Amino acid sequence: MGAYIVRRLGQSLIVILGVICITFAISRVVGNPVVLLLPAEATEEQRVALMKDLGLDKPMYVQLGIYISKVARLDFGRSFRSGEPAMKLLLDRVPASLYLCFAGTLLSVCIALPLGIISAIKRGTIFDRVGMTIALLGQSIPGFWAGIMMILLFAVKLRWLPPSGYGPPQYVILPAVTLAFFFAAATARMTRSNILDVLDMEYVRYARLKGVPERIVILRHVLRNTFIGILNIVALQAGLLLGGAVITEFIFSWPGIGRLSLDAIYNRDYPVVQATVILAAAFFVVLNLLVDIVHIATDPRIRKQ
Amino acid sequence: MKKTVILCSALLLVLWGAAIASAESQTELVIAQTAEVNSLDPARHNSITDVNYTIQVFDMLYILDEQSKPVPRLALSHRIVNPTTWEFKLRPGVKFHDGTTMTARDVKFSIDRMTDPQTKALFASFWGPIKEVKAVDNLTVQIVTKSPDPILLKRLSLDLAIMPADLFQKEGAEKFFQHPVGTGPFKFVSWTRNDRMVLDANEAYWDGPPKMKRLVIRPIPEAATRLAELQTGNADIAPAIPPFLVEQLKAAPNATVQSVPGGRVMFLYLNTLAKGPLQDKRVRQALNYAINRKAIIDNVLKGSGIEVADCLTPYHFGYDPSLKPYPYDPAQAKKLLAEAGYGKGLKLVFNSPNGRFILDKEISEAIAGMFREVGIQTEMKVHEWGSYVQMMNAWKLEDIGYIGWGNTLSDADGTFTPLFTPTPFSYYNNPALTEKIAKARTTMDEKARLGLYREIQKELIGEAAVGFLYEQVDHYGISRSLKGFHARGDEWLIVYKASR
Repeated sequence: MGAYIVRRLGQSLIVILGVICITFAISRVVGNPVVLLLPAEATEEQRVALMKDLGLDKPMYVQLGIYISKVARLDFGRSFRSGEPAMKLLLDRVPASLYLCFAGTLLSVCIALPLGIISAIKRGTIFDRVGMTIALLGQSIPGFWAGIMMILLFAVKLRWLPPSGYGPPQYVILPAVTLAFFFAAATARMTRSNILDVLDMEYVRYARLKGVPERIVILRHVLRNTFIGILNIVALQAGLLLGGAVITEFIFSWPGIGRLSLDAIYNRDYPVVQATVILAAAFFVVLNLLVDIVHIATDPRIRKQ
Repeated sequence: MKKTVILCSALLLVLWGAAIASAESQTELVIAQTAEVNSLDPARHNSITDVNYTIQVFDMLYILDEQSKPVPRLALSHRIVNPTTWEFKLRPGVKFHDGTTMTARDVKFSIDRMTDPQTKALFASFWGPIKEVKAVDNLTVQIVTKSPDPILLKRLSLDLAIMPADLFQKEGAEKFFQHPVGTGPFKFVSWTRNDRMVLDANEAYWDGPPKMKRLVIRPIPEAATRLAELQTGNADIAPAIPPFLVEQLKAAPNATVQSVPGGRVMFLYLNTLAKGPLQDKRVRQALNYAINRKAIIDNVLKGSGIEVADCLTPYHFGYDPSLKPYPYDPAQAKKLLAEAGYGKGLKLVFNSPNGRFILDKEISEAIAGMFREVGIQTEMKVHEWGSYVQMMNAWKLEDIGYIGWGNTLSDADGTFTPLFTPTPFSYYNNPALTEKIAKARTTMDEKARLGLYREIQKELIGEAAVGFLYEQVDHYGISRSLKGFHARGDEWLIVYKASR
């Protein structure tokens, strides 16, 4: 297991290096931050001086080399806009993002799993049709519309919850529900599909033929064997939730990574954009590794391999 | 019995919490801002959002009133010793938030820091004419300029925060700006980026303590959310309410709207530098005659606009009310196009940003439709703002570009120098005009300056240097319980005299 983890980490470093190079190149192609930083009244001398100060006057391959050597020393550069260390800016936002991601995932799982399981078990019935219609609606409704509608209803009209902001649980409910809409829908459909595959397995039919109560068939045979598949789905959704919260963070003024990186992209704040991508890539890598470890630990077939 | 005690305690707790919240909100003023500040260091400032933090925590030597006239603040008075030397008497007894007294040394230090090339202040170009600052005595400062500068007082009012020299030098910039200290009406308490900035009233403020004891600035970029915060009573001031939400705002029982001409002028860049039809004055004039500005203002902007003759508004020194906008005259437009040899039609590229200015894409499309009526076909290209600025700055604009100009110094020079002299943002180049603009920039006599700007504007209008459009009207949502706040055209949020 130890050797496996070390090997996977090594592979992950190569992935992250590739991600750095691609992001580096793309961000420099889409524009120069100096014209966005300086007012229109700035002099040409100011523009040239700022280009030099930000290291943007050097050839791209030189800039990339300098950047990689700094990243190796855990120096991710400073924000062009605020002058603060880019990774610190991001890491300060991580708790807010994790809070929202956790709340969104929890809500998403609480809605999606029962919906998907019931739809699969009651395949073809009214429960299945209603469940999948709800899932379809959830995937079709745009997040920005859902978010604003919920603000209008629950905050402005009913005054049950605050419209925006960061703080105690009442602040996270609306943004988490907005996020959960789409992700619960996708998770429900994939859960249903996973369970349907297992329901058709021979050992399930055999258990039923043996006269095992349906409740035991579902709990012991079906759900236990779909656990890994569902875990994979939830882990993937959690990763997407972290990155897909940009619009939600914008609408609800949630001070997470999504909003910070969106501003950084608009302002061509390269160090922050690059730091975001590195952090996101590292997160995905670690998440996938953890899921694989759980997979190995819980699936005897893989352990034997 | 036990249940009753528990229930009553719970009820009391809820009521107590509500009472506390209510008491706090009575003396707390919340601004739902449009964006977050770049930094607490004015050297990293490049927008009005940044300035609206500076003016709470710091004072400047001067500030502009609502007619854009400089008003003494930390300076009490000034005299012009010679055309390049100004002397300022400072207000005595002004205290920084740490209790130390503001002196000429602090003023010299603060201005030197921001104009020092090593500081790389983003706004440095606005203070470019300042050559040297001398602390003559404790309450007298002299500023020497590189050449005669009639708008020095306005430069001093723009984000040139006066900071305590001793504390700054002792702590260094990084530590100082973790907890900035100024002389302003509010003291810094805390800041969580993208969440909120909390400031407490400075009870020892030289202009009288603020009546609101706490100021909270929350960056809320989505306009509908800003409006919701106002409607629910969680915010007191919400700037930049788009025209299509104004009716909703007016209908809100606990909020009202203040609409002010915004000092931002919208116009169409016409690329006269590249070879093509736009180098012909008649084509440019035809474009101006083809635009029905009133229809755009009434129908697209729902009244949130004011026609302008050129690129200045009453906020700007140099504005001439006698100059009239181009009338809407499609027949005249067709006639001019025919005279220029484009009677059979013309095709131009029309560039627009998307979402940077209010209804920019929609207005560009409306104007393109008006051009079609007079035989000018347009190919519409819509750009993300960052790409749009890159394109314009590098003289890569093809034909026409929709743009807005804010003019930070409220002076004609702030519009004419960048737009109509050879700069990276200029698409109109006339050497004689450039010379006149440079002369106006350094003419100290106000009457002579106004005369020069009148001539410049007449020429710009006659030559149709750009496609003139309108001045934007800004809408602010204000809590009905808030008194003493007035929205301003320069978007400054001066709140220390506000109360409930």
